[in-house]
Amino acid sequence: MTDVVEVQVNGERVRWDGDPAAPLLDVLRETLALTGTKLGCGTGECGACSIVVDGVPQLACLLPVAAVAGRSVRTVEDLARTPEFAALREAMVVNGGTQCGFCTPGVMVALWSWLEAPDATERSAAEALKNNLCRCTGYRGILDAAEAARRALGR
Amino acid sequence: MIDFRSDERAKLSGATRYVADLQLDGMLVGGVVRSPHPHARIVRIDTSRALAIPGVRAVLTGADVPQVVFGPTAVKDWNILARERAIMIGDEIVAIAATDRRALAAALAAIEVEYEPLPAIFDPELAMREDAPAIHPGTERNRPLHVKVERGDVDAALAGAHLVVSRRYTTNRIYQGYLEPNAVIARWDDGGLTLFAPSHIPTRARETYAAAFELPLEQVRIVVPPIGGSFGGKYVLKIHLIAAALARAAAAPVKIVQDRTDDMEAAHPRVPIVTEIRIGVDAEGNFVGKDVVVYADAGSRVYWSPNVVQTACTRPDNLYDFGAVRAEGHLVYTNQSPTTCMRGFGNAEALFAVENVIDEIAEQLGIDPAELRRKNVVRPGETTIHGWRISSCELDACISEVQRLSRWERRASLPRWRGMGIALANHVSGFRPIDPRFEGSNAVARIDADGNVEIETGEIDLGQGLPGAYAALAARVLGVETERVVVRSGDTGLMPYGIGTLASRATVIGGGAVVQACEALLALLAPYRDGDAPIARAAGAYGAANGGNRAEASARYTPDTEMPDKRGYGNASPNYPFAAHVAEVEVDPLTGKVRVVGYWAAHDSGTIVNPVGARSQVIGAIAQGIGWVLMEDLLVGGGRVANPSMMDYRLPGSDDVPPVEIAFVETPDPNGPFGAKSLSECAIDPVAAAVSNAIAHAIGVRGCDLPLTPERVWTLLASARSAAVPA
Repeated sequence: MTDVVEVQVNGERVRWDGDPAAPLLDVLRETLALTGTKLGCGTGECGACSIVVDGVPQLACLLPVAAVAGRSVRTVEDLARTPEFAALREAMVVNGGTQCGFCTPGVMVALWSWLEAPDATERSAAEALKNNLCRCTGYRGILDAAEAARRALGR
Repeated sequence: MIDFRSDERAKLSGATRYVADLQLDGMLVGGVVRSPHPHARIVRIDTSRALAIPGVRAVLTGADVPQVVFGPTAVKDWNILARERAIMIGDEIVAIAATDRRALAAALAAIEVEYEPLPAIFDPELAMREDAPAIHPGTERNRPLHVKVERGDVDAALAGAHLVVSRRYTTNRIYQGYLEPNAVIARWDDGGLTLFAPSHIPTRARETYAAAFELPLEQVRIVVPPIGGSFGGKYVLKIHLIAAALARAAAAPVKIVQDRTDDMEAAHPRVPIVTEIRIGVDAEGNFVGKDVVVYADAGSRVYWSPNVVQTACTRPDNLYDFGAVRAEGHLVYTNQSPTTCMRGFGNAEALFAVENVIDEIAEQLGIDPAELRRKNVVRPGETTIHGWRISSCELDACISEVQRLSRWERRASLPRWRGMGIALANHVSGFRPIDPRFEGSNAVARIDADGNVEIETGEIDLGQGLPGAYAALAARVLGVETERVVVRSGDTGLMPYGIGTLASRATVIGGGAVVQACEALLALLAPYRDGDAPIARAAGAYGAANGGNRAEASARYTPDTEMPDKRGYGNASPNYPFAAHVAEVEVDPLTGKVRVVGYWAAHDSGTIVNPVGARSQVIGAIAQGIGWVLMEDLLVGGGRVANPSMMDYRLPGSDDVPPVEIAFVETPDPNGPFGAKSLSECAIDPVAAAVSNAIAHAIGVRGCDLPLTPERVWTLLASARSAAVPA
């Protein structure tokens, strides 16, 4: 007898009747075809699978589906529709914040959460990025973009 | 086919689909059973339990795959799966394809292999001894490559020198650290094999794979999805072949996505190099001779390491005038995972040794290290000792710029435990010996009546910004907005022929073809153009007269270079970029921890084609260099990687990279498109040397072995203190 897990993903109700211990990342990528969330390490070390759960950034590779039962999950595909994300995206283009792009959705999710957090002005963007690895850019363009977006949004 | 729009917005929104994101109908998942022994005879393989697992579609051993010996370079020592012997931990023994990951995992666990361990060898210098175990029988002294170069009388020059500094430097095993683990999809149909494979030299990969399966070249097609970082790690890979073998056996597409542990245990890291070096100077600080012996660890098979050794032996001789030079290079097999390229290969390692020795010479002669370098660098218009014609060189200006940016004069009066170090670098923009048959590039340019431009190239973007650079070049020739240009690449079946992205060749050589194709398009449209009217209108007129609504032209660009002769002499690249970097560090004497507190870079890459991308490239290279010199090392003991995770192998994070100030000295080079030279490899070449020179300046002792971890720096300090205590 299998437990059924219900989760909100990007505003839609999802019923999962598979293994409740399956990583949320696999369910997002394979069952829901939300491939914007990337698998970089699978062990919580790189940040490429960052998502937002009830407003808080989390790593989808470390979360069993059962851990998000009844909660609201937002992926990069959904966040990309918000004006905050758009401001961040344009700032990243102007500041050279992406190269190969593989870490980029995770970086965008982390920075989006930072911009949305009530204490965004107190925490630095570098602090918000501490769980995300980028091998291409050396981070400075990303941090400049984060600051530019924060200013543009008046946060 | 993959459309590489010059548009980063898709990447930023998570819409870009990498190979792991692609799904084909009926696709299986593949995996590999790897050897737990560094060297062993394979006594028996039992696949019966795995074959009985529901969902398993193919189980292959070395006996089930083509028995060809092949390889991507002149050295042929590859197989698809191991036969008779495993020659490293991680060697591929059995491959399995199954309908889902659960069945695959069960099948991989159900394979039984009996091994008889054999003596193994891990140190290149020991592996060259007569009594060492033979890793590839028939290869004398386990040495697939032995380089010897001498120009001038080095012995006489060093005997007559005022001062000779002699040292032994070692560089570490660096994992490229691409965020996208290696992955591939293979599919067979009536036309042959199609691989969806992130390789940035797909034409060479195609030749290698065609040889492995004994297929005509036309029956292998490589489609290159967007590449999630490589830095030299994604050239020609065995998992591509293994996926192909599985897909053929199972008669279904097979995807392999390597997990991070596998990717690191069987990684193909930067070639670890030992450099024994001597440099002599006269009393005025003019270099008179350089002598190096290089030992390089190839690992168990030859990937791209021969080119690395050749480069390490000679490239710095085209940065400084050493008077007379000699190099001996040994590339040696060991029972470890094969090593290969990483950004700046060979040159960055060699410069780590050269630039440290130059600082020692400066100390002993009492000359400012920046000025000692300025005195000895190559000059524009010169031909170097290896025959490189220096068409442009702004090293003098780069040294002055980096001195100004860093306020170099502070160096004499820094607070205790602070230090500043300088290092220079050179590089190539394409390299003639990469492929003796052809080292040019082809491009197609198209424009329609609405002014939409398409560029097709055989070169590959791996995140370095090729689409942006080519769009900028095309826009400049055609007089259109950059945003109107779409750059397509990455399919050996559909795109024009290109060598691919290595040796810093994309902007100058691939870009040269793009410029020529656009010029050919202008010429084609000239009869249809009304004065200075927009080119799109001419495209419309051309289309009306010739059918359709667009015009197309193609071009082949062949750089004006020379294939070096048997002794390695010749002008191998159309032009040469240069750089001068300064690092400032602070050392904690209690812990040995080094923090890079400031970094300044001045680059001569000719005309900068894409300023935002160029800046991002330079900072990214500096970050990689900081990781290399201070924290990264793939620790291998007894052939086993001890730190195969991103937790235990630490890449630089956002707080490890200081603010960076950059100056581009933009003097157009006569041989590059709009005066451009290459950039992104040259930007990592001086970093290890600049940071290590800064550390030596801060603590008064010089570390010769990378990485300079807190433990190593603390030990250096401790040994200096005990040496200073009177007996």
